[in-house]
Amino acid sequence: MVYFSGLSDALRMTFVQIMILSAIAIVIFLYGMIGNLQKWGTGVTGYALEPKEGQKGSAIRFLKTWWAQVTAESHHSGKPILEILILDILFQRRILKRSGLRWFMHICIFAGWMSLFALSGLMFSVEMTEMIGIKLPFTAAVFREWLAIPNYIFGYILLIGVIIAVIRRLFVSEVRQASIMYDWILLAGVFIITISGFIADGIRTGFIWSFGLDPSAAPPAALFHSIISLLFCIAYIPYSKYIHVIATPLAILANKGGE
Amino acid sequence: MAKKAPSIDTKNLTAVQLMELDSCTRCGECVKWCPTYAASGQNPGLAPRDKILRWREFMNKSYGIKAKLFGPTEIPQSELEEFKDDVHSCTTCGICATVCESGINTVELWEALRANLVKKGIGPYGKQNAFPKVIGQYHNPYMKDQKDRLNWVPADVKIEDKADIVYFTGCTAGYNQLALAFATSRVLNKLGIKFAMLGEEEWCCGSALIRTGQAHINDVPRQLAKHNVEALKKKGAKKVLYACAGCFRASKVDWPRLLGEELPFEVIHVAEFLAGLIKEDKVKWVKPINKTVTYHDPCHLGRHVGVFDAPRYVLSHIPGVKFVEMENSKEFQRCCGAGGGVKAGLPDLALGVAESRVKDAVEINADILSSCCPFCKRNLSDGRDSLKVDIVVEDVIEMVAEALGLETS
Ligand code: SF4
Ligand code: SF4
Repeated sequence: MVYFSGLSDALRMTFVQIMILSAIAIVIFLYGMIGNLQKWGTGVTGYALEPKEGQKGSAIRFLKTWWAQVTAESHHSGKPILEILILDILFQRRILKRSGLRWFMHICIFAGWMSLFALSGLMFSVEMTEMIGIKLPFTAAVFREWLAIPNYIFGYILLIGVIIAVIRRLFVSEVRQASIMYDWILLAGVFIITISGFIADGIRTGFIWSFGLDPSAAPPAALFHSIISLLFCIAYIPYSKYIHVIATPLAILANKGGE
Repeated sequence: MAKKAPSIDTKNLTAVQLMELDSCTRCGECVKWCPTYAASGQNPGLAPRDKILRWREFMNKSYGIKAKLFGPTEIPQSELEEFKDDVHSCTTCGICATVCESGINTVELWEALRANLVKKGIGPYGKQNAFPKVIGQYHNPYMKDQKDRLNWVPADVKIEDKADIVYFTGCTAGYNQLALAFATSRVLNKLGIKFAMLGEEEWCCGSALIRTGQAHINDVPRQLAKHNVEALKKKGAKKVLYACAGCFRASKVDWPRLLGEELPFEVIHVAEFLAGLIKEDKVKWVKPINKTVTYHDPCHLGRHVGVFDAPRYVLSHIPGVKFVEMENSKEFQRCCGAGGGVKAGLPDLALGVAESRVKDAVEINADILSSCCPFCKRNLSDGRDSLKVDIVVEDVIEMVAEALGLETS
């Protein structure tokens, strides 16, 4: 699966649009993120304290309080930060301890998502480098071909995770009954991004996911995928359940890996 | 026109705790384990996940992006009252923190939310609001005379005036559950451990006030902690022994936090102390206890502080004891139902949880359901009586006394 970044010859027309969209997505993200940091920063800095009269939420207060907790000594758990980063955040052992299936699902989504995000970023920077005239030992087109296989692999890893998540939410009664709109939006977003990525690439290559569509539909399909990726992956994070991708690692670090 | 004020404030809620609300992935693991949610007949409001979601919504309505742009949305008082009821229907057992995939420190969060609401004049729950006045005035929650603190001490027990080791009895063992006080003091005497006690200078540890969000009222818990630490210092304490898990947790975790400094002595549970003596081969047993015994980890000793092995070590060294583990044990233990002010505020809920725990012990055919806390013993005994099952509920220290040939009455 090739992530469209808007710079290839065939799709050159969309470059400006993509740049504008990216900028808008980032601005929306930053606005929301600052809003969240300020909301968290309405809290107090330590045990049993009270905010000062008329005190406003402050992102700095949040960051200071968080850092103080990360570096404070703990009377109980207290694991080294590196261990927490690797085992609790990257490997997600807290989920593994509770449910093998849920861990597999989550790690597929996490690994697939993050890798595709990183690969797209990489592709984008190579194309930008080429655009501004810096010579690389390879062309952006060649680089795109190199990324094709890793893109496919992580794309399918993500797809497996997403399919498990959808099946769980639809068919496991305990999960379905407890689901609220907040959960459905997250899942629907990931599902649409993943499937649209496969379809956009399928149309371009005429392979598996093309559904017989004319290759001329490739640019708009890729554009659609890019837009919703930018909106869901970046812009919508601070306003939705996606915020957990930022807040959960921060909570795990603050609580030294948790109980 | 002046901007509307938010319906909630952030008193007692740290910036990190507010962030934790957004870190909940709604995985539902905590719901599966919560003992009060189960004992309430799965009342959705009691589920930890639901409480987190509700307060997150309250925060967004009050301080979120929309609130910033268009002003806060009012939260009806009835919703806050309902939330108060639900957040107090929690024993602060901490299993939700243990299983939480996002590593949220839920116990601290529940206690902070309770305190936040109490400061707003919402809560605590039922009879819990009598605690600050009673404990502030009597220095114990049972309205007993402080002069009677040592009334239970039998003639055969020798207490030093000053010693390196001080036994902090706790209000429950000192006034009501005397068997534990008899057992602890006689066991220490028998093992040649010289110890002192605070007597009428022993004040309540403050746990009930802190757990129910009332720590700020007249500053009572801090005064209790300050007084106790000073009194312990005067006795020459280097090690302070506790047989009550609630007092132990309060001293170990809450006192240093209230006082803003480390304690000048070591805080040890008697089970840990005895395990040390057994390891040094200093305990000579005189009588076997030929029974099948299981052990219930008090939340405040186990999950809250991490003491899981010492009581098991002690039990497994008592001659004759066949030790069996319940399915939910150690960090995944099921709460007895008494903690967090639930026994005083919601006795029916406490009983329901206790019954589930007693059933765990009955299922594995234990003769004795042991624990290391007089409060657990009391509630588990109530659960046993209500189920009308034939099982003995006994403290580990009382069993040690028996195996050393000592009386506990
Ligand atoms: S601390 Fe225990 S009783 Fe309270 S919400 Fe968590 S699991 Fe339930
Ligand atoms: S276990 Fe933690 S992350 Fe999962 S629903 Fe409960 S509070 Fe949220």
